[in-house]
Amino acid sequence: MKDIMGLIYTGENDARLRELTVTRAIAAMPVAGRYRVIDFLVSSMVNAGMKNIGVITQKNYHSLMDHLGSGKEWDLHGKNNGLHILPPFLTRENVGLYPGLLDALRSNSNFFVRSKQEILVLSNSSIIYNARLDELVQFYQDTNADITLLYTKDPTMKRDEYGTYLQLDKSGNVTDMEVQPTHPGYDNVYMQVMVIKRELIKELVDKAVSHGQHSMDRDILLRLVQDRSAKVNAYEYKGKCWMIDSVQSYFKFNMDILDPKMRKGLFREDMPVFTKVRDEMPACYGDDATTVNSLVADGCQVDGTVENSILFRGVKIAAGAHVKNCIIMQDGQVHEGAYIENCILDKQAVIKRNSKLIGPEAYPIVIGKDVVI
Amino acid sequence: MLRKKTCVAMLLAGGQGSRLGVLTQKVAKPAIPYGGKYRIIDFPLSNCTNSGIDTVGVLTQYQPLELNAYIGSGAPWDLDISNGGVFVLPPYQKGKSGEWYRGTANAIYQNIAFIEQYNPDYVLILSGDHIYKMDYNAMLNYHIRHGADATIAVREVPWEEASRFGIMNTDSDDRIIEFEEKPKNPKSNKASMGVYIFTWSKLRQYLENDEGDKKSNNDFGKNIIPNMLADKQVLVAYSFNGYWKDVGTIESLWEANMDLLEKPMPIDMHDKRWRIYAKNPGMAPHYIAKGATVHDTLITEGCEVYGNVEHSILFAGVIIEEGAKVESSVIMPGSVIKRGAVVQRAIVAMNGVVGPGAFVGEETGNIAVVGPGMTVPAGKHIPAGDQVDEAYVFDK
Repeated sequence: MKDIMGLIYTGENDARLRELTVTRAIAAMPVAGRYRVIDFLVSSMVNAGMKNIGVITQKNYHSLMDHLGSGKEWDLHGKNNGLHILPPFLTRENVGLYPGLLDALRSNSNFFVRSKQEILVLSNSSIIYNARLDELVQFYQDTNADITLLYTKDPTMKRDEYGTYLQLDKSGNVTDMEVQPTHPGYDNVYMQVMVIKRELIKELVDKAVSHGQHSMDRDILLRLVQDRSAKVNAYEYKGKCWMIDSVQSYFKFNMDILDPKMRKGLFREDMPVFTKVRDEMPACYGDDATTVNSLVADGCQVDGTVENSILFRGVKIAAGAHVKNCIIMQDGQVHEGAYIENCILDKQAVIKRNSKLIGPEAYPIVIGKDVVI
Repeated sequence: MLRKKTCVAMLLAGGQGSRLGVLTQKVAKPAIPYGGKYRIIDFPLSNCTNSGIDTVGVLTQYQPLELNAYIGSGAPWDLDISNGGVFVLPPYQKGKSGEWYRGTANAIYQNIAFIEQYNPDYVLILSGDHIYKMDYNAMLNYHIRHGADATIAVREVPWEEASRFGIMNTDSDDRIIEFEEKPKNPKSNKASMGVYIFTWSKLRQYLENDEGDKKSNNDFGKNIIPNMLADKQVLVAYSFNGYWKDVGTIESLWEANMDLLEKPMPIDMHDKRWRIYAKNPGMAPHYIAKGATVHDTLITEGCEVYGNVEHSILFAGVIIEEGAKVESSVIMPGSVIKRGAVVQRAIVAMNGVVGPGAFVGEETGNIAVVGPGMTVPAGKHIPAGDQVDEAYVFDK
C-alpha cells in the first residue's frame, strides 16, 4: 500500500444544496453530528494505507482548509508525504475557476510529478462511502487493468441527467458508458472513484486538455471504452453509499444514519472515521429531557424534547423546546417553548423563544449560518 | 542543543493508587477514566498547556503501559512540539547503578539530567491524583513576585478535616512558618494540594543534600519542605479557591464524577478558554433509541442507549441494552449493560460486562465496582461495596 496515493477533487456542482454551500464546498458539509463529507473519503484512504493525499479545492475552500489543517487528525503530517491542499491558482491558461476536473488535474500536475507513488486513487467528494480501497487497488493490480472504476448497484444513487453509468461484461470489464443520460439505462452507477497509474493519468489529461476537453468521464473514459484502447474495468462496492447533491439527499443521509444498521455499515470498528477534534465535554441531559431516536454529539445540552434528530457539537435545546426530524449544526440553539420540525439549522443558528417552524418533509427548511429567528 | 525554558513541569505519576482497588490493578492511577471522556492526567496536562508550560516530564514506574499509550506523542494537549513536549520518564540504569523511584523527591533527583537539558529557572511539581483547573502561570508569577524559593499551592479545608492533610501555618504575608503533616490540633486550615513551584537552583541543591542523607524518606512533604523551612528559606503559600477533588479512593472517584451532574457544575467544563483536552476515541456521536430514557446524565461519543439511564456518566462506546437500568453510576469506556440488568451506585470499569438481569450495587451503601474487562454473569447479584475482580466468587 506504500505505492498508492490519493487525490480528492472537491469542485462539484453544489447549486442544489442552496444556502448550505454558500460558504463551503460539498466536501466540507457537516454531516452525522460531528463529521464533514470529506472525512469519510480521507479516512477510507488512510485506512487503506495511503500516506500521500492531495485535495484539489475549487471555490469556498476556506472552511475545508480550516477543517483539514495539517492533516494531523488523519496522521497525515509526515515529511515527504502527508496531506496536500491544492487550491486553484492563476496561470496564463487558468483564470481562477477550473472548467472541469481535467483542468484541475492539469493545473496540479506538479503534485503528480513530485509524488513517488505509482498508483493513484482519484475520488470526487460528493459521495459518502467507507470502502476498502485497498481491496479496490488489489483488484486493479490482479486484473492488470489500466483503469479500474468503483461502482455501486444501489438504485438510490441513480439520477436523471446526472452521473455516469456502466455496462459491464461477466469479468467486470466496462463495455459501454452513459454520461449524464436523460434516464440512466444501466444499473451500475460509477461512484467517481478510479484507480489509475500516475503516469497514465498525466498523459491522458495532457492530451485531452490540449484538445480543449474538460470532462473526465465524457472525454477520457468514454473514449477509451469505445475505442477499446485501454483496459477499463470496474469493481463493485457492496456497502451503502450516499450522494450528497441536494438538500433532500443531504437530509436523507443524516436521517438514514439514525438507523443502527446503516450506522454500523458506515462506522466500522476496523475502519474508523477520523475528524477534527473539538474537545467538548460529553453531552449533558437535564432532568426533564426527552430523547427519542437521535444522534447527539459532545458538548450538547439537552433539556427539552428531541425526536429523530441529529445534534452537532455544542447544540443547546432548552427546557420546553421541541425538535423533530431536524439537523442542527454546531452551536445551534433552540430556546424555550420553540417548536421546529423538518428543519436544517446551519452553524450557530438560533431559534428564539416560542417560535414555530415546520417544514414539509419532502423539502426541509434551511436556516442559514448565524441566522436568528 | 535544547533552548532554555523558564519553567519545566514534572508530574509524579508513579504511585500505585492502591486505595482504588481493582481499578488500579492493571493501570496507573493517572490513567483512570474520569468524567465521561477524560483520564485523570488530562487535568494537570491541560492545565500545563493552558498555562503556557510546554515541557512536561511524567514520572512513571507502576503499570505504565496504558499511561504511555495514552500520552503518546502528546498531541491532544498540543505537547507534540520539537523544543519541549511531554516525556514519559521511567527509572533507568545510570552507570553501574539503577533503582526504582524511592520517593517523590528521589524521583525528581533521578531526573535532574532531564531537567538540566532545559536549564529552567523554575520547576513545577505536580501529581496525577486530582481533578482541578488551575493557572500555574499565575502561581509562577506569584512565586517570582514574592522572591520565593518555593511556593506551595494550598486550599482551605473545613477545620474538622484539617487533621487529615498536610497543613501550612503561615504569617500574615502568606509566608510559610511551619509545616505539619496531619496535625492532631491544626493551627491552620490551609492544606497543601501537592502542587509546588521551586526555584530550580535551590531545589537541585536540596535534592542533592537529601540524597546524601541515608535516613531520609526522599519525600517532598516529609523531607525537602521541612529542611527548607529549617534553613529559613523563603516558602510562600499560594491560595487556590477553585474546585479541587482528590480521586484517590473508589468513593471519592465516584463522588467526583457525580459532581459533574450538579447544577451549576462546580467545575466549569464548558470554558472555551480553559478546555480540558483528552485523547479522542474517534467514534460517531452517541445514539439514544426510541423507548430509552436519559435524565441528568453525561454521555459521550460511541454510546448506544436503549435502556434507562438516570444520574450517571457514560464513557465512549458504552452500550445500555433494552430494559437495562443504570442509576447514579459511572460506566467506563467500552462497557456493556445487558438486557434487564440493574446497575446502581456502581463503577463499571473499562470493557466490563453486566450480564442480562444481573444486579450491581444497591440504593444505599458503598459503591460496587466491576473491574476492568470483568463480566458479571446473568442474574448474579453484586452487593454494595463489593469489587469484582478475577478472584471474585459469584454466589447465588
